[in-house]
Amino acid sequence: MRKHSVSHPRRRFIAGGLAAGLSGLAGAQGAATDMPFVNGRRKLAAYPEKRPLIVLTSRPPQLETPFEIFNEGLITPNDAFFVRYHNAGIPTSIDGDKHTIKIGGAAVAKPFEISVADLRSQFKPVELTAVNQCSGNSRALFTPRVTGGQLGNGAMGNARWVGVPLKDVLAKAELKSTARQVTFNGLDTGVFGGGDFVKALEVGHAMDGEVMIAYRMNGADIPMLNGYPVKLIVPGYYGTYWVKHLSEIEVVEQEFDGFWMKPAYRIPDNPCACIEPGTAPAATRPIGRFNVRSFITSLADGARLHANRAVGVRGIAFDGGQGIREVAWSDDGGASWREAKLGEDLGRYSFREFTFGFTPKKGKHDLRVRAWNRSGQSQPMEALWQPAGYMRNVVESVKVWAA
Amino acid sequence: MKGAQMISRPLLAVAIALAAASAHAEPKTINLPPDGAQLKASTLPGYAKAQANCVACHSAEYMLYQPPNAPRPYWDAMVKRMQAVFKAPIDPADMPVIVDYLAKTYGNE
Repeated sequence: MRKHSVSHPRRRFIAGGLAAGLSGLAGAQGAATDMPFVNGRRKLAAYPEKRPLIVLTSRPPQLETPFEIFNEGLITPNDAFFVRYHNAGIPTSIDGDKHTIKIGGAAVAKPFEISVADLRSQFKPVELTAVNQCSGNSRALFTPRVTGGQLGNGAMGNARWVGVPLKDVLAKAELKSTARQVTFNGLDTGVFGGGDFVKALEVGHAMDGEVMIAYRMNGADIPMLNGYPVKLIVPGYYGTYWVKHLSEIEVVEQEFDGFWMKPAYRIPDNPCACIEPGTAPAATRPIGRFNVRSFITSLADGARLHANRAVGVRGIAFDGGQGIREVAWSDDGGASWREAKLGEDLGRYSFREFTFGFTPKKGKHDLRVRAWNRSGQSQPMEALWQPAGYMRNVVESVKVWAA
Repeated sequence: MKGAQMISRPLLAVAIALAAASAHAEPKTINLPPDGAQLKASTLPGYAKAQANCVACHSAEYMLYQPPNAPRPYWDAMVKRMQAVFKAPIDPADMPVIVDYLAKTYGNE
């Protein structure tokens, strides 16, 4: 009851958003967008609790955030946040208070089950602003192209998550010294029962105090398509670990090798997580933390500007949790660089704003931005390649014309 | 009449309890829109088999949006994965024609 009364303002906002979406829909019937790659025409559609988003697949829903939304603020609105499912057996009706999470496995002494209502009342909540990014964000931009979900740059988002530390919940189950990994399952299932989406973290990672079971997103309930009523938050790690509709946690004594840990979601086991295009990796490891990325958000590729008139340029940068230390920008394709100004710090897992002023002379300009994190890690000038199309983080190029 | 009253009181109590419970419960429910794409029609024998098998589990954008260089081994691996991992009940005899339809309709052939 309490939860629903506080969610009312949000509901009105959603309703308003849907109405706006619908009024736009009459004119935008069959609205489509052309992504910057071959075979990149996409439809837009408004799914439940969502404004019109780019439809990668309609069943199960995989929805990409139109990139211009990243210029509206550092927090990605819930109704614009990307959606990624693997199986079409997705829940469409959930009682958010009565939903339970089972905690068990061979490496706990006291298995138990807890409702979301009890999770809210029995544990001290924490709040964290963190980016969630799909492993395959930007996959369609790989050269040579790789198969899989052909995403542009919109399978990422930044939100304020409120929930309880996983460590506190697992402590109640009393982990044995034999605990090695923790597995996470949600309500979504394969249509024919195979390929259930289960992920695993090392026990030390699961107990680091930052991994969280979230029940609020940007001050509202988590949208159904983002994992209502509870979602695992793994700060700095790719979205594949952020299990939706979390329903089962097991602490196990061996390495979990389900399909979604092996062979899926693996990267070349070398420092760059990259190989020569068209070759196969000698060894692989599970995908882990984000690398460093930065994007200009206020100017689209191909934008037209007035010559000799100053323009304020804005963008976002993020990494896997060290925090962004510096962003540099170039207007000559990377030949020379200047420092951009960093904006408000919402925490080391958040998008970080940067800005710079640019007064273009007449002609074409190749704008680039490059970020460094506090460990000195940065972005490559030339794109790295790997067969699954994960972890793209090349220095982006935005070409503008001034006249 | 008297009997009806005797029954109705507990029923009323149940109704009130249910109403109170449902006021607390209020499950969140969504309705998903229909598929946004259909399989491309073809005279290849695999078309009907793909209609019967592939789209039972997922919509056709999975094929439609692959890059044009997607080679036959990719389609072959995907069909095999659907059966082996996802337990799609595909008749093994149908798998070669499904792969043929996918490679020629959505791949690089």
